[in-house]
Amino acid sequence: MNDAGGAQHGSDLRALLARVAQADERAFAELYRQASPHLYAIALRIVRQAPLAEEIVQEAFVSIWHHAGTYDAAKSQPSTWLASIVRHRALDHLRRREVDTVAIDRGDDEAPWEGVSDAPSPVDMLLAGADARAIRDCVDALDAGPKQAIALAFFHGFSHSELALHLAEPLGTVKSWVRRGLERLRRCLDGAEVTR
Amino acid sequence: MNLARGDRRERLDRLAAEYALGTTSPRARRRLEAIARRDRIVASALSEWERKLASLASAVPPITPPPRVWRGIVAGLGLRGTAPAKPRVRWWERVGLWQTLATASLAVIATIGVLEWRRAPQLPVAPIVVVLAGADAKPALIATALRGDRYLTVKSVANAKPAAGTVFELWALPQSGAPHALGVIPAGNLTRVPLDNPADERLSNIASLAVSVEPPGGSPTGKPTGPVLYSGSVERMY
Repeated sequence: MNDAGGAQHGSDLRALLARVAQADERAFAELYRQASPHLYAIALRIVRQAPLAEEIVQEAFVSIWHHAGTYDAAKSQPSTWLASIVRHRALDHLRRREVDTVAIDRGDDEAPWEGVSDAPSPVDMLLAGADARAIRDCVDALDAGPKQAIALAFFHGFSHSELALHLAEPLGTVKSWVRRGLERLRRCLDGAEVTR
Repeated sequence: MNLARGDRRERLDRLAAEYALGTTSPRARRRLEAIARRDRIVASALSEWERKLASLASAVPPITPPPRVWRGIVAGLGLRGTAPAKPRVRWWERVGLWQTLATASLAVIATIGVLEWRRAPQLPVAPIVVVLAGADAKPALIATALRGDRYLTVKSVANAKPAAGTVFELWALPQSGAPHALGVIPAGNLTRVPLDNPADERLSNIASLAVSVEPPGGSPTGKPTGPVLYSGSVERMY
């Protein structure tokens, strides 16, 4: 989605959410049609199991139907609000299920998993996908370590320990990569917002 | 903890950033969300960071979910076919029963956790203890050692064991220096993982231990190849 399309899309989603808050089923169906491919992809990236990602999208939309009225257009973009519902739900499932799930391979980025086997790498996505130019520039300016740590955490839901193990770096190092990476992102983004 | 006070703003900003990124633990995440519900400064810090990172999420190439997902949603909500102007709000949906149930089941889970913990067989009092817990914070394995032991005693609690055809491998995570394998945990409820030095020396720089799922014989790459199920910090009582 390009920037202009994004703005158009945003106002569409906002109007749809307002109608869903009024229990408008057709608006709900349209919201699902527009938003679910993106939300499903986010969930699938994080939990890496199609059935679980489907469950998360279902739960998320049930929650959206009930809570659309709490969406505050002044506070966030509709796509941000929707994505964060799905992301946090997916992270919950991931951290809960990891205890009893053993068959998935989260270490190998080549690992094929349903539907996303030819997907770009997290770092590619971090750079390529950001439709806002500011964040792309800011992410691009990060050092390799922080960039990779932030990409893996954001797109795959890796915890600090998992980052340390998968990047073969000390726990202290990845923690400070994440922290400093986020700090730099904030400074960079704040600067970009001021000059815009 | 008053996160909204001026001197805590930096800390709040850091927490909010890690919250939006997803690296906060589930417990910390829920605590932050609870605080945000009654504190507008905390709430706006969280949504500010969600907003900052939001456009990253648009990078994920969309994938259309199978039709059964939508069918499940409309069936679950009782929307199919009819298109009432207003959904029928049933009494149990109105009184917040679901929240009550959710809270109750959380309390039950917490109680079970405590009971499991209490029921865990008595462990020898050891000066080095690592409680390896899953994401739900429930202890799964407990590793202990006397200072001079050349092995870690690993006790499985809550019936934690690897699936058929896989093994648990134990990893050491130093505060400085790369993580490395300590070895495969032998099958059984109470086992030993040999160490090449006395435990207090071997673990002297190790902040935490973690357990991953690996093929028989352990990770062939020197890095975990399967999911990391449990982790815990090394507690020294000497």
